[in-house]
Amino acid sequence: MRAAQVLAFGLTRRFRSTEALRGVDLALEGGLITLLGPNGSGKTTLLRCLATVDLPSGGSTLIDGLDPRHESDRIEIRRRLGYQPQAPGMTPSSRVFDLLDYLAVLKGHDDDRVRRHLVYRALEEVGLDERVGDDVGDLSGGMIQRLGVAQAILGQPTLLLLDEPAAGLDPDERFRLREIVAARRHRATVVVSTHLTDEAAIGDTVLVLIEGRLRFVGSPEALAATAADRAWIQDTEPVGARATWRLGDGRYRCLGQPPPGAAPVDPTLEDGYLLLTSPVRA
Amino acid sequence: MTASANPWPVDQARIDANWRAITIELDAPTPGRLERLLRAAGLPGRVTRLVVATPALRRAWYLATGLAILIGLGATDAARPRENLFVLLVMAPLVPVLGVGLAYGAEADPAHEVTLATPMRGLRLLLTRAAAVLGFSTFWLLIAAILAPGRQPMAFAWLLPSLGLTLATLALMTTFRPRRAAAVTAVLWVLGVTWVRAGAADPLAAFGPAGQVLMVLVAALSAVVVVARRHRFDLLELRA
Repeated sequence: MRAAQVLAFGLTRRFRSTEALRGVDLALEGGLITLLGPNGSGKTTLLRCLATVDLPSGGSTLIDGLDPRHESDRIEIRRRLGYQPQAPGMTPSSRVFDLLDYLAVLKGHDDDRVRRHLVYRALEEVGLDERVGDDVGDLSGGMIQRLGVAQAILGQPTLLLLDEPAAGLDPDERFRLREIVAARRHRATVVVSTHLTDEAAIGDTVLVLIEGRLRFVGSPEALAATAADRAWIQDTEPVGARATWRLGDGRYRCLGQPPPGAAPVDPTLEDGYLLLTSPVRA
Repeated sequence: MTASANPWPVDQARIDANWRAITIELDAPTPGRLERLLRAAGLPGRVTRLVVATPALRRAWYLATGLAILIGLGATDAARPRENLFVLLVMAPLVPVLGVGLAYGAEADPAHEVTLATPMRGLRLLLTRAAAVLGFSTFWLLIAAILAPGRQPMAFAWLLPSLGLTLATLALMTTFRPRRAAAVTAVLWVLGVTWVRAGAADPLAAFGPAGQVLMVLVAALSAVVVVARRHRFDLLELRA
């Protein structure tokens, strides 16, 4: 089973006067891709277009050479797709097993026994096989997010799209979810959106989307390297830095054009990201 | 002991797989009472799952049942049979309309977006749910019609309007959100029959042969619209 190939050409999406996507070009195949961007940058819209539940206003996408604008292609893409939207959409009164079994029917698995095995396999992968008979309402927030991932990986998709799966989770659950998602990078093209830079760092490729435009495509190291010689630490509050924040020891970490005499420090992915998102000061 | 010394070589992987399969069969939760009932009636497991495992559909069923019973109770009042029949004929087609409006879309189903991203065609899923609501409500309304005083054939004159209005709702759902589509259909229907009644000597004129033919035409036209615009059921209801 080969990881899906995802191509996008000049993708745009308009909602009345708002332009959520402005000419996004993409070429992805295999690995873990993290989609990083501030709130409202167009991450969800891009994932919805790739998941074929929304169609772009302009441009086009091709998943394994299939065009989602055509009905038969769209259905074929969906056979290869696992998608977790931002809102997991799970009814608290539903049983864990029933919910996944229902989605397995929607994914085209007609045989009861085959479905049961697929459901158990997905639940085992996310560590929820012991909760199979529980109501969704009895699960913790982290478990519900893992259940969302379980429904997405049901049937071993070759394209996995997860919209902010770690939002609102404690560090333990985030780590656990990260492991589950990262484990699939060799079997599928996995795209995970986030607005957390430490989540983005686990990707093989990082995409940075700002105001509907793709502003960076590359490895986490390459994103960090964009801040080389542009990150420094100083004792006093800086003037003219693009971005700055106070560290635990009272000093200031600064990004931008360092003043004369400032010693650059090793840049991080967060530095690179903040330089992309912070406006240049006049 | 070496493997060659074992007179019964063991394929541990196969044993594990078999044991796992047995465990799953024993461990998997059994379907609920309603689902077991539907399976006993001959519906395959995949269909009963689609019909029963949707909370929105269950709510639509409860509503359809409640309304049908209310309408039925009203229709069995023998004091004003003609008036009661009019109410039955006006209200009965609205039951599946409201049921369908409440059974589909992002407003009704929290998992709607996940559902859309599956290979199940939206129209197929919608028709399955519509058939479930229509079948269920028709069952109760038929009982109401049978119990109506006089047992006149006119008591069944809501059947074609039910089909026509349900299909009209589905057609409107290609443009409007499901609840709005149901509301538009309901309002147009009530206004239509009230207008006909106001202009005719017979209060049941709207349900005569001409009205029935009109409903067949509405059903046919709506079916064409639904099929032609079926792609709308495969996409999120986002306003561009």
